[in-house]
Amino acid sequence: MKNIKIILSIIIILLLLTCGYYFIVPMFTTSEKNLQYKTATLNVSSKDLIRAYTLNEQKSNHLYAGKIIEVTGFIKEISFLNSRNTIILNSNAETFGVICDLNPNEKEKIKLLKKHQKIRVKGICKGFLKDVILLNCTIDLIPNE
Amino acid sequence: MNKLFPLFLLIISFADFDVKQNQFIARQGQVSFFSYTSVENIEAKNNQVLSLLDIDKKEIAISMLMRAFVFKKDLMYEHFNESYIESDLYPKANFIGKIIAFDTSTKETQTRIVRGKLTIHGITKETDIKTAIKKTDENYNVSGNFDISIKDFQIKVPPILSSNIAKTISIKFTFQYQPYEE
Repeated sequence: MKNIKIILSIIIILLLLTCGYYFIVPMFTTSEKNLQYKTATLNVSSKDLIRAYTLNEQKSNHLYAGKIIEVTGFIKEISFLNSRNTIILNSNAETFGVICDLNPNEKEKIKLLKKHQKIRVKGICKGFLKDVILLNCTIDLIPNE
Repeated sequence: MNKLFPLFLLIISFADFDVKQNQFIARQGQVSFFSYTSVENIEAKNNQVLSLLDIDKKEIAISMLMRAFVFKKDLMYEHFNESYIESDLYPKANFIGKIIAFDTSTKETQTRIVRGKLTIHGITKETDIKTAIKKTDENYNVSGNFDISIKDFQIKVPPILSSNIAKTISIKFTFQYQPYEE
């Protein structure tokens, strides 16, 4: 009888620990997970992405919003506004671009970047206002093509 | 006289009468909100807020994606978007307002009320926002803060979590505007 009680209590403790791991720990983890090792759902050029959004915002949201996408484009501007590291990628139109807010881990890579350089950015697409917005981005420096 | 008129028109078309810039844009405006309770403090920031400032009309228009708010914890982000704001139904929040007694000539920082309509969670409410406006050479910096009541925008918090979310949320914003040509 005593043995069964001990085994039962061990099982219950193990169950609680697994529940804790899967449910409670995620509550306290940060959102800024590094996407470097995650694969993107889609790969698109900054021009095509912006064109898609200007033509049909709802359809583009359906395709891209909430997903990890890789965008290739030329750097229009590198900004450090509000203590964020941001890269804005070019498009055909002067006024629109792709705003890529970088993951803090990418700080070192920014120093290597120059305007008009072609890069690939991987991030979570959040939607479109006047520019497409990508958050939690990591940079892929494309080797010379 | 006939020959002079087209020539006159030609000259006029090249003359740049120092057209005053009256439209300004901020693409990376920052809006942050705070919920303080004895149980939990919640804070979120959105660094990709879009805003247009029209000096002539003395109007400000602001638009932001609710999904672009960044939280410290994933679960907060999910609750915010799925339960409170319902971002699938109401992905954006807007504000359109007029700056009262705006002095467009001064470079001194002026604190003014911006009176307009704030739309969150599909509900529009007349809101007065106290704003500090500073003109620098080519640009404008606008910042300020105000409070909103979650009840006004029908943001429903489940009873279990009611002590985790404040009834009044403090909002802070700052925008750096640059000249905008459409």
